Amino acid sequence: MSAVHDPAPPTTGAEARPRRARRVRGRTELYTSYAQEMALLNTRGKQLGVLAIIAVAAYLPLGVEDDILAVLATGLVLAIGAIGLNLLTGYAGQVSLGHAFFVGLGAYTAAVLSGDPDGRYLGFGITNPLVWIPAAGIVAAVAGFLVAPLATRLRGLYLAIVTLGLVFIGQYFFLEWRSLSGGAQVGRDAATPILFGIDLTRNGAYTDEQKLYWFFLVVLVVMALLGRNVARSKVGRAFAAVRDRDIAAGVMGVELSRYKQIAFTISSFYAGVCGSLLFCLNGHVSAEQFGLLLSVQFIAMVLIGGVATISGSIMGAMLIALLPQIAAEVPHLLPFISSSARDSPNIFELEIAMYGVLIIAFLLFEPRGLYGIWMRIRTYWKGFPFSY
Amino acid sequence: MSSQATPSTDAATTPATTTITTRIRDRAASDPHGVALRHKDLGVWQETTWAEFWDTVVTAAHALLALGVDVGDRVAIQSENRPEWVILDHATVAVRAITVGLYPTNPAAEVSYLLSHSGAKVHFAEDQEQLDKFLEARAECPEVEAVVYREPRGIRGRYAVPGLLAWDEFLACGAEHRRAHPDAVAERMAAARPDDVITLVYTSGTTGPPKGAMLTHANVEFAIRTGVHDEQLVSPRASEKDLTLSYLPLCHVAERFFTTWHNAATGTQVNFAESIDTVPANLREVQPSLLFAVPRIWEKLLATARIKVDSATRVKRAYGRFWLREAERLGARLAANGGAHTAATRLRYALGWVLFFRAFRQRLGLGKVRYAASGAAPIAPDVLQFFMGVGVPVHEVYGMTENTAIATANRPGRVRLGTVGEPLSGTEVTLHPETGEILTRHPANFAGYWRDEEATAGTVDADGWLHTGDVGEWVEGTHIRVTDRMKDIIITAGGKNIAPSEIENALKASPYVKEAVVIGDRRKYLTALIGIELDTVGEWAQRRGLAFTTYRDLSEKPEVRTLIRGVVDEVNNKHNPVEQIKDFRMLPKELDHEDGELTATQKVKRSAIDRAFHHLVQEMYGERVTARAGADDAEGGTA
Repeated sequence: MSAVHDPAPPTTGAEARPRRARRVRGRTELYTSYAQEMALLNTRGKQLGVLAIIAVAAYLPLGVEDDILAVLATGLVLAIGAIGLNLLTGYAGQVSLGHAFFVGLGAYTAAVLSGDPDGRYLGFGITNPLVWIPAAGIVAAVAGFLVAPLATRLRGLYLAIVTLGLVFIGQYFFLEWRSLSGGAQVGRDAATPILFGIDLTRNGAYTDEQKLYWFFLVVLVVMALLGRNVARSKVGRAFAAVRDRDIAAGVMGVELSRYKQIAFTISSFYAGVCGSLLFCLNGHVSAEQFGLLLSVQFIAMVLIGGVATISGSIMGAMLIALLPQIAAEVPHLLPFISSSARDSPNIFELEIAMYGVLIIAFLLFEPRGLYGIWMRIRTYWKGFPFSY
Repeated sequence: MSSQATPSTDAATTPATTTITTRIRDRAASDPHGVALRHKDLGVWQETTWAEFWDTVVTAAHALLALGVDVGDRVAIQSENRPEWVILDHATVAVRAITVGLYPTNPAAEVSYLLSHSGAKVHFAEDQEQLDKFLEARAECPEVEAVVYREPRGIRGRYAVPGLLAWDEFLACGAEHRRAHPDAVAERMAAARPDDVITLVYTSGTTGPPKGAMLTHANVEFAIRTGVHDEQLVSPRASEKDLTLSYLPLCHVAERFFTTWHNAATGTQVNFAESIDTVPANLREVQPSLLFAVPRIWEKLLATARIKVDSATRVKRAYGRFWLREAERLGARLAANGGAHTAATRLRYALGWVLFFRAFRQRLGLGKVRYAASGAAPIAPDVLQFFMGVGVPVHEVYGMTENTAIATANRPGRVRLGTVGEPLSGTEVTLHPETGEILTRHPANFAGYWRDEEATAGTVDADGWLHTGDVGEWVEGTHIRVTDRMKDIIITAGGKNIAPSEIENALKASPYVKEAVVIGDRRKYLTALIGIELDTVGEWAQRRGLAFTTYRDLSEKPEVRTLIRGVVDEVNNKHNPVEQIKDFRMLPKELDHEDGELTATQKVKRSAIDRAFHHLVQEMYGERVTARAGADDAEGGTA
């Protein structure tokens, strides 16, 4: 400890100092403790902004058609997975193409736990999502924990290829274990969330889309807060150090293998939670879905949303979720693109092409993603009336 | 901290005097957890509460007692502004000793003079740099018995100097003394008398060696009563809710008034800037509500604002320029109305506040300023007018060390630009009928110069009038305009009296001019030496793609000369022909305290300038340049 900066301790007489740091009214940049500066929402503007966004998001189900709502709800779930990948790839810098595998693990864990015990496939009849969501997360996390040692030996491209292998192993595994997955082309029922006796997938006072949307929103807010807190903690700073230069991080005393393992584990947990919820809406899981495309979609969400940001992950996920919707609108503008899958070019091909184009465009022109665009807008007004 | 300590015989006969130290003690008792001081450490503002503040003052006072500091002994402080400065100042006053402030920029030779002249017994040297200066000067000041340092870097374990103490050791020694004699400090304090000298403020000395003005408790209490409690300066009165930023040297009477005494009298929260270079950033963080600055800082703020608007993106630039023009128009209107709003200006300002001024002020760190003052040197009215227009009314105040900074002030709503305001009530301020010299007489007139009877007699006359050395004139019968320092008045060969400072300030109002020295005493016409502002002219040159290397290189570019020519012409247009500058030369270096060209308060020493740049002056008057060794080499012109 440096003696230079030790504030002179009260020598005698005065009672122990009250060390609760106070904010000074109206001085947003005057921090009297590190905690204030590192606070989750360190300015009034951010506090109000986040509240407003959550309020709007919570109100949406009452004002939006159910089909759009279903797309948005899917976006919310994808956002959870994207946050997970962003923690691993964005914050800790470990490129992973294996995210789909962990999503699949989560999906099947949840499906098995909540499945009918007397049905054709494995099932335990535990329909409470408060049980099967964490369980799905934990199973995926354990898998992540076991895979992580690979990552401590490998870097960059090699790691990407190895995790790609994971996807293929996983898909083979899912397809062949029929009592788990129902096998190729068949699939099985997804997890059924019955919360406090209310089946969220059945229409009641509110439609199933509305109920699920709200449920997903709550889970997302919880997971996003967790993610932000991980990112701004000691662990998050260690991740950033590993990403920026692993050798330097090691020299600084960051235990590389340990933090890579933590990154994989946390990321897989998020993937598992995402997987458990992802198929609730259409009620069916099939093993083909956990392929390379899903992994690439997650990568796209991270890159388009913004590397190493939580809010960016959410924005990216929402955009990717809305992409089919956007693609479906294109034939109105460009008549030569067909909305039928039998013609070519059609909107499904367009959708696939758009992933690629978006990734390339963002990497070239807006490397910090949607979040970067937001940052630029914010900086413009923050600096007002100057430019810097 | 019981004030009920056994009173000494002396205190029993005289009623307890209110002093700055008792004010701190009482506030620590009534508001122990309120914030007294803030300083930035490792990027975080550390707070000192009143209780901690007072506790440390008492411990430091005990430490001084332990070092054998007696009534009337001198304690010297050479440090940047930091809590220890104020703590040691109060501790010294508490034991009835005398604080001597040294500028952190004082070179070793001046340190030697000040320490030996004041006969300091204890010296506080902030860090290695200041300690080295002291060690260099040590032989000439044998009276110094103990040296205390705050920053151990480079010192601890490397210096074997007898009497050298780290701040922590100093406090530990005080704590020990405090345990042994718990009431010693309280007894000393109780014996304090109004005519105790509490500080020597050395004048900057533009001519001759610095003189130490003695200020007493009575002086300071009168200053507090007049300036603070009667709301003649800050109105409504400063309170615990007000924040100030402390960045000007604390040994100067103006900063002592706004930082130490204001803090003691009203409980303002003092925030110490990290250094003079970080003032813009610290201003933004602290957003002080009361701000005192010297003209140089106001000019710099104005220049920064203009540069930032000019270098903004296209839309912001056009928008910003529009509002800056509007600020000037508003300022002109307000100035015509004494600084008070009319319904029309209030409406225009309200609109501007929403669209521009609020953000603009916030970015400059002036967002919360409710009272601002400028003093210690004359300021160009244009600068004041601009700040008035953006909603930061800067009040020019006038005072000097010898009258504890109490003389005249522009009152909110009764501002006359170009004047230093009205005499404060409770004081006598008048002009000498013949010379026009400003004279003051009030209880804050100092007790004399330290160990200099002759100079004292030359400054205060038999009737108790203090001769300020400034020439002034009445404006509208109520406000005083300071023409110039009496000895600076230029009498041209044609016999015309000209006040150079007014012309100099008009020049310095340009963002490109940092220094201007008008010359012309006993000459046919006026000329000027002009030093550019490196930041702004550098930026200007960059925008034009003008490559440059050093200050000298830049200032000698013909393009820069043309730029400055424009500034000079503009100023000339506002003056009548005798007061116009016929020729000018660029200063080849930045003027510097270390080189003896500026005083510690950044005032130009004309004699030193004349010596160092004599060849430039001769050139302008077409005289034969006298060969002078190294005259061309400006760095050699230390003299």
